[in-house]
Amino acid sequence: MNLTFAGMDGIIILSSYALIMLLIGYLAGRGKDIHNSLSGYYLAGKNLGIIALFFTLYATQYSGNTIIGYAPTAYRTGFSWLQSISFMTIIIGIYLLFAPRLYVISKRENFVTPTDWIQHRFKSKAVTILSILLMLWGLGNYLLEQLVAIGQAVAGLTGGTIPYQYGVIAFVLVMVIYEWMGGMKAVAFTDVMQGIVLMVGIVVFLIGALYLVGGDFGSVTSFIAATEPAKVGIPPMDVSINWFSMLLLVGFGASIYPHAVQRIYSAESERTLKRSFSRMALMPPITTGLVFVIGIIGIMMFPGLDTGGSEQLVGLMANEIAAINPFYYWIMILFFGGIVAAIVSTADSVLLSFSSMISNDVYGKFINPNASEHKKVMIGKYGGIVAVAILLWLAWNPPATLYQIFVLKFELLVQVAPAIILGLYWNKLSAKPVFFGMLAGALLAGILTLTGNSTVFGIHGGVLGLSLNFLIAVAGSLFVTSSSEEVSEAEEMTSLKIEA
Amino acid sequence: MKNQTKEPIQKKWIWIGMFLIMLAIVPWYYPRGGEVAIILGFPYWALISLFFSLVLCGYLSWLCISQWHIVEDLEENENRNKTGR
Repeated sequence: MNLTFAGMDGIIILSSYALIMLLIGYLAGRGKDIHNSLSGYYLAGKNLGIIALFFTLYATQYSGNTIIGYAPTAYRTGFSWLQSISFMTIIIGIYLLFAPRLYVISKRENFVTPTDWIQHRFKSKAVTILSILLMLWGLGNYLLEQLVAIGQAVAGLTGGTIPYQYGVIAFVLVMVIYEWMGGMKAVAFTDVMQGIVLMVGIVVFLIGALYLVGGDFGSVTSFIAATEPAKVGIPPMDVSINWFSMLLLVGFGASIYPHAVQRIYSAESERTLKRSFSRMALMPPITTGLVFVIGIIGIMMFPGLDTGGSEQLVGLMANEIAAINPFYYWIMILFFGGIVAAIVSTADSVLLSFSSMISNDVYGKFINPNASEHKKVMIGKYGGIVAVAILLWLAWNPPATLYQIFVLKFELLVQVAPAIILGLYWNKLSAKPVFFGMLAGALLAGILTLTGNSTVFGIHGGVLGLSLNFLIAVAGSLFVTSSSEEVSEAEEMTSLKIEA
Repeated sequence: MKNQTKEPIQKKWIWIGMFLIMLAIVPWYYPRGGEVAIILGFPYWALISLFFSLVLCGYLSWLCISQWHIVEDLEENENRNKTGR
C-alpha cells in the first residue's frame, strides 16, 4: 500500500491521532484507583454505559483489517463475498445463545475472565489449563496480526516515510501507554473515537469510489459480468458450503473470544448489554457491506490485479480518490489515520484481555493465588508487555496475506465454545469429556491446518474440530455417570437465581 | 416477576427462524450455469442473499430488545433505589 499522496501530511495526522489516544487514556485513568482491583482495571469496574459499550464492541470487532483485508477479498472472489455481512451478523445470534445467562452469573460470581466461568463450572485443572492455552494462543495470534497490520498501514499512509518497523513500534508504545494508564476504561473510551472515525471513513471512501466510476454501481456489475462472469455468477456448491462453514466458524469464534466475553462482563446492566448488541446487529451492512461494495468497484477501477497486487487495492483506490480534489485528499488522510486507529483499537482490547488472563488465570490461579489484586494487575501488565515484545519480533517477518491468518486464529480458539456455552445449560456435561473433546477438536483443527488442509470440501478445519469436540463432550457426558450431587451442584452454578 | 423473564435459549422458534434465514442467505439452492440477470446493479441471487442478510440483521436486533429480559427489572429497581436515596 504505497500512498503517493500522503507523506508529511500523513505523519501530522497520525501524530494527532496518537496524541488524542494518549490524552483519552490519561483522562480515563486520572485520579481513579483502578490498579488495585482486577475488575476495576480489566473490566472498567463492570460499569460501562451504552455508548462506551457499543463502541468498544464495534471497534473491537471491526478492525482496520476489515477494510484493508476484506476489500481485496471482495475484489478476488466477487459477489459471493456478500457472506461478510452475514458472518459478522451471526455473531450476535451466537451471543444470544449464551450472553444473557452468562451475564447474570458473571455479575453474581464476579468473573474477570472467561476462564473464571470454566473453572467455576467444571472445577477441573485439566480443562482450565487447556482452555487457557487455547485462548492465549488465539489472542496472541490475533494480536500479532494487528501489529503487522499497524506497520503496513503506517508505512502505506506515509508513503514509506515512516518505515514499517518504526510504525509498529510507535503505535504499540502509544497503545501500551494509554492502556497502562487507564485499563479497560481507556480502551473503551478510545474505542469511541476510533469507531466513529472508522464508520465515517468507510462512507466517504465509498462515495469517492462511486464518484470515480461515474456514480453508477450497475455499470460496475455489467462491466464485471462482461469481463469476469465468474465473479457475478451463482457460486459453485463448495463456495456455498464454505459460506455455511464461515457462519459457524466466525459466529462461534468471534463471540467466544476472551475480549468478547469480557465485554459481556463489563456491561453496566442487562439493559445496556442488550441494547448494545441490538445496535451491533445492524452494523455489518454499513461496515463489511460497504467494504464489499468498495472491493467490487475496485474490480472496475483496477482490473486484472494478481493476489499480491490486489492486497494493495485500498491504497490504490485511496490514491485515486485523493486526487479528485483537496477535500477528498484530506478526508483520505483522515481515513487512513482512522484505519490505523481502528487497528490499534482492536489490538488494545486483545492485549488487555491477554494481560487479564496472565493476571487472573495464569498467575492468580496457578502461581500465586494469594497475591493481592494490585500485584496480580501489575503482573498482567508486565506480562502483556513481554508478550508484545515477543510478537513484535515475529512481526518483522509478516505472513503473506491477511485473510488466511484470520481464519487460522479461530481454529483453535473456537474449541472452547462447547465448554462455555453447553456448560451453561446442560448440567450433566462433565469435565473429562469436555477436556478430551476440546483436546481432540484442537488437534484435528491444528493438524488439518498444518498439513495444508485448512478446508475439507469447503468446511474449515476449525468447524470439523468443533463438531468432533462437541460430539465427544456430549457422548462422553452421557456415558459418564455423574453423581446426583455433581448434577445438583451444576444446577446451582448455572441457575439464574432471579427470585433471590 | 418470574413470569416476565425471557431468555432466548428457551424459545425454540428463535433458533428455527435463525436457521431458516441462514438457509435463505447462502445461495446453495439455485440452478447453476447460464446467464445471470442483473437487478439494481446486483446479480439476482446476490440481491436475494443481501435481502435475507438484512432480514437477519433486523431479526437479531429485534430479538435482543424484545426476547431478552432476565434481571433488567431487578437492576433498574436497584438503580432507582440507589439514585433515590
